[in-house]
Amino acid sequence: MAVKARRHEVDTGLNINSMMDMMTIILVFLLKSYSTSDISVAPSDNLQLPLSSAQKAPEMAVNLVVAQDQLVVDGVPVLALSKAPDEDNPGQELTVVPEDEKRGQVITKLYDRLLEKAESAKALGERSGSSEHEFKGRILMQVDKNMPFSVVREVMYTAGQAQFGEFRFVVYKAEG
Amino acid sequence: MAVKRRQEDSQELNLIPIMNLVTILIPFLIMAAEFVQLSVIDSTLPAIGPPQPVEEEPDKPPLNLSLAITGKGITVLGADAVLNPEGAGEGAAAAAPAVEGEERPPTVPCKSGGTCTGVDDYDWDELTRILGLIKDQYPDDENVILVPDQRVRYEIIVKTMDSSREDKKTKTADNKNRTLFPFVVIAGGAL
Repeated sequence: MAVKARRHEVDTGLNINSMMDMMTIILVFLLKSYSTSDISVAPSDNLQLPLSSAQKAPEMAVNLVVAQDQLVVDGVPVLALSKAPDEDNPGQELTVVPEDEKRGQVITKLYDRLLEKAESAKALGERSGSSEHEFKGRILMQVDKNMPFSVVREVMYTAGQAQFGEFRFVVYKAEG
Repeated sequence: MAVKRRQEDSQELNLIPIMNLVTILIPFLIMAAEFVQLSVIDSTLPAIGPPQPVEEEPDKPPLNLSLAITGKGITVLGADAVLNPEGAGEGAAAAAPAVEGEERPPTVPCKSGGTCTGVDDYDWDELTRILGLIKDQYPDDENVILVPDQRVRYEIIVKTMDSSREDKKTKTADNKNRTLFPFVVIAGGAL
């Protein structure tokens, strides 16, 4: 009788040593993958970045997302893109910028938004007075990997007109 | 006897506060964790890019290396002529001009022939090899101009930049990949 009661008492104690071991391993792994990166990417079906062997680390700049369905500048949607049938491959569709949103090669809504960004960045650079914050016309481009070059070209041309001439194409770093 | 009992108890470490701490730390670190690493590729607009210091040598014309990317493959162009590093040089290409209306086949055709079906159908190793031969002739040149076709997908343009940036198979003396043409300019292409 005494033995039975004793054993029952011992069994009720929760042993958390193994759980502590697990937590420590997870903690070390998460600390290793901790990032303080300037930019963030929200992957979706409409924005799949390409893989590349480029090694250069990204830096802070105006963020322009060219997804299959829309153009986004610094997190704010600017323009919806549409689909048009591909003349060379019947049955397939290509992403295009709607004709009525363009003035020649320039995408008007994107141009206005980027010009606003350029003006405010310039004002900020003048006020801070340091060369570090000077406006350099740098723009981070996150482009979907299946985007046809015609759209990329129009976006690049528009950015160039709005004084953004240094493109940084954001890509996933390939292993090795 | 009672003293001995207390000693026995204090040997058990109280892990509950550490557990609390760890449980709070883990969600925070999961949020800040980065599971895919990002990098960037530099490129400038042709018109407002920084002027390249060109040292004119009378007997060596500037290279102006260009890669025309189409659905059928990649054509290597330089100094307004199709480069042919393996043949008799630029003279051979100039001597046999393309017949009016007939398209010259690309320097690096698709592996499957005809129209490329995907990224892996382009012969990237062959492109890197040809660019390596051009680099042998022009060791100081570092610029390349990409002229993609309107329908070429962005992924293929990025892959072309990768193939022209460095040669992974050739190592330099300090065991780094051989640098080919790292400065990329994307041209608008013919309208």
